[in-house]
Amino acid sequence: MSNQPNTVQRRHAEEEYAEELYELAKADTRQRPPNWALSPWAVATYLLGGTLDNGYTITAKYIGDRRLIEIAIATLATDRALLLLGVPGTAKSWVSEHLTAAICGDSTLLVQGTAGTSEEAMRYGWNYARLLAEGPSENALVASPLMRAMAEGKICRVEELTRIPADVQDTLITVLSEKTLPIPELNSEVQSVKGFNVIATANDRDRGVNDMSSALTRRFNTVVLPTPATLDEEVEIVRQRVGSLGRMLELPAETPALEEMRRVVTIFRELRHGLTLDGQTRLKSPSSTLSTAEAISVVTQGLSLAAHFGSGTLTARDVAGSVVGAVVKDPTQDRTIWLEYLETVARTRPDWTDLYEACREVTR
Amino acid sequence: MSASSKKGGSRSVHFFGIRHHGVGSARSLRRALEQLQPDAVLIEGPPDADKLIALASHADMRPPVALLIYNPTQPREAAWYPFAVYSPEWQAIQYALGNKIPVTFMDLPQKHQLPLLYAPPAEAEAPPEDTDADADAGEDAGENALLEAEPADMPPPVDSAALLRLDPLQALAQAAGYSDSERWWEHMIEERQSGETIFEAIQEAMTALRDATGAHPDPGYAHREALREAWMRKTIRATEKKATRLAVICGAWHVPALLDRTNVAADDALLKGLPSVATTATWTPWTYSRLSRDSGYGAGITSPGWYQHLWDTAPDQITMRWMSRVAGLLRGQDFSASTAQVIDGVRLAEALAALRGRPLPGLDEMNEAALAVFCRGDSAPLNLIRRDLIIGDALGEVPPDAPTVPLQRDLELQQKALRLKPALDEKIHDFDLRKPNDLARSRLLHRLRLLQIEWGVRQQNQVQATGTFHEFWKLAWKPEFAIAVIEASMWGNTIQDAAAARVRDQAETSDSLLPITALLEDVLLADLPEAAEIVLNRLESVAALTSDVAVLMDSLPALVDVLRYGNVRKTDTALVAQVVDGLVMRVCVGLAPACASLDDDAAALMYNRLNQTHSAITLLQNADYTAHWQGALAEVADLRAGHGLVVGRAVRLLRDAGILSPEEVARRLRLALSRAVEPAQAAAWVEGFLKGSGAVLLYDDTLFTTLDSWLALLPGDTFDLLLPLLRRTFSTFASPERRQIGERARHGVRQRSDQLLLDEARTAKVLPMLERLLGI
Repeated sequence: MSNQPNTVQRRHAEEEYAEELYELAKADTRQRPPNWALSPWAVATYLLGGTLDNGYTITAKYIGDRRLIEIAIATLATDRALLLLGVPGTAKSWVSEHLTAAICGDSTLLVQGTAGTSEEAMRYGWNYARLLAEGPSENALVASPLMRAMAEGKICRVEELTRIPADVQDTLITVLSEKTLPIPELNSEVQSVKGFNVIATANDRDRGVNDMSSALTRRFNTVVLPTPATLDEEVEIVRQRVGSLGRMLELPAETPALEEMRRVVTIFRELRHGLTLDGQTRLKSPSSTLSTAEAISVVTQGLSLAAHFGSGTLTARDVAGSVVGAVVKDPTQDRTIWLEYLETVARTRPDWTDLYEACREVTR
Repeated sequence: MSASSKKGGSRSVHFFGIRHHGVGSARSLRRALEQLQPDAVLIEGPPDADKLIALASHADMRPPVALLIYNPTQPREAAWYPFAVYSPEWQAIQYALGNKIPVTFMDLPQKHQLPLLYAPPAEAEAPPEDTDADADAGEDAGENALLEAEPADMPPPVDSAALLRLDPLQALAQAAGYSDSERWWEHMIEERQSGETIFEAIQEAMTALRDATGAHPDPGYAHREALREAWMRKTIRATEKKATRLAVICGAWHVPALLDRTNVAADDALLKGLPSVATTATWTPWTYSRLSRDSGYGAGITSPGWYQHLWDTAPDQITMRWMSRVAGLLRGQDFSASTAQVIDGVRLAEALAALRGRPLPGLDEMNEAALAVFCRGDSAPLNLIRRDLIIGDALGEVPPDAPTVPLQRDLELQQKALRLKPALDEKIHDFDLRKPNDLARSRLLHRLRLLQIEWGVRQQNQVQATGTFHEFWKLAWKPEFAIAVIEASMWGNTIQDAAAARVRDQAETSDSLLPITALLEDVLLADLPEAAEIVLNRLESVAALTSDVAVLMDSLPALVDVLRYGNVRKTDTALVAQVVDGLVMRVCVGLAPACASLDDDAAALMYNRLNQTHSAITLLQNADYTAHWQGALAEVADLRAGHGLVVGRAVRLLRDAGILSPEEVARRLRLALSRAVEPAQAAAWVEGFLKGSGAVLLYDDTLFTTLDSWLALLPGDTFDLLLPLLRRTFSTFASPERRQIGERARHGVRQRSDQLLLDEARTAKVLPMLERLLGI
């Protein structure tokens, strides 16, 4: 089952950053909540980066608003469950993994939510061979990550909470308020140990999938992780990711011109925020998410078009098609919004003529 | 206890450095005064208003109120000093009046400050509007700061000494690890619950700061400040001779400068030959939203409602009472907010404060906790909290015997200058807008209307021939307008400023297009170019967010009228052109989807809008717009499932513009009338196509035949059903048209060509005359 650490595709956060966690714990003299490996202050430093008194540098795991991370940590410190909301590609799972790694040193207690997640995956199941052979017993019980987290006083992560069917979600309601999980078959229960908590992530564009009941919502404090704050930050993320993806796909085209990438990111940001970058013109936002991840795929796709069918350098024509595809998800509403954007914004920018024309051409 | 400087025997002067509108300052000050029992109180404020201080304890006086000092001949030149109940100055006044202790103001009187500020070269000074705008920008930034990272907003370290002088507290705040000075002051001083030695600490900090900072980069400001401090020293010198324990209350920054009062000669030299004007002072009601924007101290506060809460609430209940109020507000707006959530909110706020090393949760922690617990991370309810709780809607009251407000005076001045006396009986006036005086009168009445002082009621032009140069007004002054003027006075000191400020407020709080368009018309009539600019900007951003094409179309004609005809008032129309540009583009892009699925009623409305928009765009005579509009019409004409009325109209408009050839039009008519189409839709198409004028049927045989044969082939009962509809269409034609169409229908098409026998000789006789008439 277990792999050698150097052959796994991706190591757990607590393994990858073991040294940083060790150094932090050594330097950390502040008060720790029961069963926490670090103090809230040290957890914040672990996520946001910083330099310790002994000169050791902690790398930043999350680049963005310090306050959001502080709210998340304060939530966990007050024994409330934490819900991380955000559009895809805003580092929800990443933050949840690192929070867990820093607080209880174990990020493996994970429920991966899908439409098929069953109640057994949230509470407990049975080893049927044992159940038949021995009857109901502790040994025949298969504990869920949630149950183990309760018993060990650790943090359980629930990914994609809103994809889990509503009746299964509701398991969490009593667990979070009573802090106990009854096992009627054995006439016993698991009472959670101090330090137990839940971090759930959900995609806020998909709220409709299996909307959380208000009873469950009330048990979570919500932190919304935003899209990158500045154009430069986002362009940098896109640049790095496109670079590594391009190498992986072995695309022969040159690394894309920063200028073309900037324009794509500009379009995405402007439509996403409903406001031009200069803050002068209001825009309507289309139904599409337009996340950083999509900007990355637009540029990669354009790059591959340029390599295989174009001049080899990324031009406006290469990205136009996939930009339109990313923006226009709803054929009537989004199209109107997109045309409006082209006519009122893109058309008026003198150095955007090529992009405007290329986009007009594919939008017809 | 307090910072004091003893001077011989038992006489002493005690300094209390405060922050204007600081709750903590007010509380500590009140305590300190009760302990000190001073026998004279000096407050940093305008001595011009010394006589009005006594009114502060009047039974009808309810803060927030403001002291207003203005130049009665130029009401625009004014300064105001707002007070909330938690302003330290207000508490000092109340303490002194309550204990019958003499209390006076000691700042440089506004009779000297106003001419310094407004005398030429006036351009060098920032007019009050500017500070207004700055404060607004700050407010917006504050809102965003809650959700977005701040480092981007940090000013680049240009000239650190100059920067330090502009915001000296910033240096202290940064040293303490805070991003902005306001928060720092709040946490260190205002939210501190026990503060016995606080005034000494403040004095020390300020002394250190003043030593470290250079001169203010604006020499005019630096000069004024030197004068103010010299005047304060002079006043203290005069007062300390008469008092045994003198309490001096002033902004913390000034304390170090007032301690050493030995250099009498230098002060006297500085204060010699100051310019002076006559001033009048009065109390006016104030609001928290005004308090949050700007104030005479130049230190506006962003959260008056929160301060009120801090002032009213016992220290150990601040967090829970605030969270309960947040929950109550949200519940009233149908958000779920249970008691359990209030508890969670309080715990989260306290945990956040602990994590950040603060003794009590501040407003930041409160907002972040509310966002996480109540709002599911959605910031929209937070705006509600901000408007109703953090700023609040408190409105002050002043006793009726307070002196007249400057707005009243400005109105009287204008009435006199324009020879337009307020009379109680109704009288109709006819203003010829080509005459400057009449134009100014009309302007005044329009501005008063914007301030909701309905002295004049606009009448319809009685004689059409008089054209747009005349305006008729029915004037009748009512006594209650006096109150309306006082209410309006919070918007500004002159009619023009007040009207502009109110328009601005209305524009910013309205978020639908039509009221803003209406407002724009009023503003242009009232000739308020700056306000017009704001309304236009607002119009532009609201238009961008309006997804309802119908509303966009409705607001277009009025704007086009402004643009095309300008008006008699010579308005600058460049801005309007920009807005119209955006509107036309948005209408053109959204037209076809908006016409896609309409029921009969909606189609009838859209039909009218098509016509209105068409004539508006035709009026503009802009080839680009026309092309876009025709493109949009073509899309409508091609709609497969569009309502007949609208599609028919689009075809007709395109035909009239020569875009669709007669053959194409005939083809489309045949398609519309083909058997697969529901007869009611077909009839609607015909109505849309023909309504208003049927001449096209007379000139185009194909159209006539197609329509005729469709009618002839209709089954009897369907024909009966459609008859009223068709009748309605045809009844809109002129009667000669109807007669001719009837004749053609009776005789059939061929007869007409038979009849068309021209007498060449007779026709030739008419031609020369026709040529002359047409100028060929």
